[in-house]
Amino acid sequence: MTTMPLSRAMAAENAAARPAPPAPSRFVRTRQQLFASPGAGVVTVVAALALAAILWPAIRWALLDAVWYAPEGAAACAQPGAGACWAVIAEKYAVILFGNYPYDEQWRGMLIVGVWIFWALLSALRFVPVRIRLAGWALIFVGSILLMGGGVFGLTPVGTDKWGGLPLTFLIFGGTVAGGLPLAVALALGRRSRLPILAALCTGIIEFTRGVPLLVVLFFAALILPLFLPPELNVNKLVRAEIGMIVFFAAYAAEAIRGGLQSLPNGQDEAAKALGLSYVLRLRKVILPQAIAAALPSLFNDIVRAFKNTTFFSILGLFDVLGATKIALQDPEWIRYTTEGYLFIFALYFVFGSGLSLYGRALERAHLTRLRKAGK
Amino acid sequence: MEVKAVSVSGLNKWFGQHHVLRDVSFSLAKGEKIVLCGPSGSGKSTLIRCLNGLESFAEGEVAVAGAILSQSPASLRQIRQMTGMVFQHFNLFPHLTVLENLTLGPVSGRREPQQQANRRALELLERVRLGDQARKYPGQLSGGQQQRVAIARTLMMRPQVILFDEPTSALDPEMVHEVLDVMEELAREGQSMIVVTHEMGFARNVADLVIFMDAGAIVETAPPLTFFSRPATERARMFVRQIGHDAHLEGVAVRE
Ligand SMILES: Nc1ncnc2c1ncn2[C@@H]1O[C@H](COP(=O)(O)OP(=O)(O)O)[C@@H](O)[C@H]1O
Ligand SMILES: [Mg+2]
Repeated sequence: MTTMPLSRAMAAENAAARPAPPAPSRFVRTRQQLFASPGAGVVTVVAALALAAILWPAIRWALLDAVWYAPEGAAACAQPGAGACWAVIAEKYAVILFGNYPYDEQWRGMLIVGVWIFWALLSALRFVPVRIRLAGWALIFVGSILLMGGGVFGLTPVGTDKWGGLPLTFLIFGGTVAGGLPLAVALALGRRSRLPILAALCTGIIEFTRGVPLLVVLFFAALILPLFLPPELNVNKLVRAEIGMIVFFAAYAAEAIRGGLQSLPNGQDEAAKALGLSYVLRLRKVILPQAIAAALPSLFNDIVRAFKNTTFFSILGLFDVLGATKIALQDPEWIRYTTEGYLFIFALYFVFGSGLSLYGRALERAHLTRLRKAGK
Repeated sequence: MEVKAVSVSGLNKWFGQHHVLRDVSFSLAKGEKIVLCGPSGSGKSTLIRCLNGLESFAEGEVAVAGAILSQSPASLRQIRQMTGMVFQHFNLFPHLTVLENLTLGPVSGRREPQQQANRRALELLERVRLGDQARKYPGQLSGGQQQRVAIARTLMMRPQVILFDEPTSALDPEMVHEVLDVMEELAREGQSMIVVTHEMGFARNVADLVIFMDAGAIVETAPPLTFFSRPATERARMFVRQIGHDAHLEGVAVRE
């Protein structure tokens, strides 16, 4: 005999779907967040006052009292009550942006900067196919080097010792990523290889490079390496330093990619094997697209860092934007306004760096959307 | 003598000191179907993974459609091109659409023209009743639909034999039959296959032979009716009683 259970349940009386009850308005929600309790209210007010106390003088100095234009020289900035002397930028922008590059040829640098920014913006648009983006970058990169160096199409040759400013920064960065990513993939795959010597070699390169500061790598590549190499192998300093940058970037990116490889379930490679695909095809079509997509967040950290690391070139006596700014601000007339000059290039780095981060996050979001579609 | 779809003789495999396949020999005639069953851990997956070289083995010989498997990349590719495999967890490529999943093997691996492969893929999707899903990504499909895509992906390679490793055991119960229906249809059309499954109804309907494994060795082989009604060994008897019981509880696996 079964006894009646004591637990109870009831069939729903009104099971028809209906819209969710209205959510509080944005204003109400914000007020709730800012003044959730008396204590929170006090913190909000104090923080707001502190912010205003910091921001107001900054705004006065940087905007309201600033001297924007001083055709008669630095004297305009020296008047009492004058704020930031942005006139120094107007005066020195050519050197800041293009370094020691011959003045008459600076249109080349301008063209390069313009084309890079244009293509970067275009690459951020979803409807431009990846193939076209990459082909464009390859073309632009090679074109930029030819244009900077001259000696072709009737352009006056300009030695790399005269290269400088923003175009040089772009070229260093572009070369680092373009050369570093393939190397990173090779190192990551090598480290996971079943061939013990290859795996040990790749692990060694990665760990050694990650274990020393970039400055040491650059000094080694630019200044010490030539002492050991036969003179015929003595490529120029810019190229040597660039190789150092590439290896340094690749060591970090390799670990990011290795993480992506590890996140892939074994079944992916097995399914590709079961279709009779060769190793290279499995990598190209199945493994790497997924591994690199999974590695995007950390990969973009490394890419943004590579952009900021271009500043190290100034220490080697190569004039990237930072190095160029340093020479520009040595002019005794304007030397008091170096702060403004540096703030300007900080802003420049901030714009490019956060642009890169934003782009990375957009790629990541696109990938996540696809994964959500893929039910992961 | 006719060439067998698959023939295996004296297969022995160890994982370290663990002897997981013990002197396994059997053959599958063209157009026939073998159902492989046995308790968990008895070596069924390992055995069929040896047949297309996903696992290597220490002793014995495996041949697919007369081609002997060696561990050289060329031989592995040759065998795998002739051998389809359907996995328990589908293993579709999540970054590719359903259509791209199907055409990757033929177009990239065999240089079949893209258009021709697309046409064949759409026909096959129609056959597994997914004609309207070609542009979706795998994650947008249910488990049963994903497994049918996986079957179509395998069929694209026109395999001599298809290996199924528990194709329905990761599925929600209500989706099991849609996959089994597709497999039964394939079986009727004369596709050679080896299926690891505990679906007794499926085995009864399509298997020419049931192979029962335990602890890495073949213990008993018989036609399905004999095997399920009068198992010869005690171990098989226990196993049949066990899965019969489970099937009864779930109420879906035993279908007349
Ligand atoms: N990669 C592996 N390494 C070590 N042992 C394994 C591995 N794969 C399977 N085994 C062992 O081999 C035996 C057979 O496994 P498996 O073929 O998966 O059995 P089944 O598919 O019949 O459940 C089990 O004891 C399992 O633990
Ligand atoms: Mg198994």
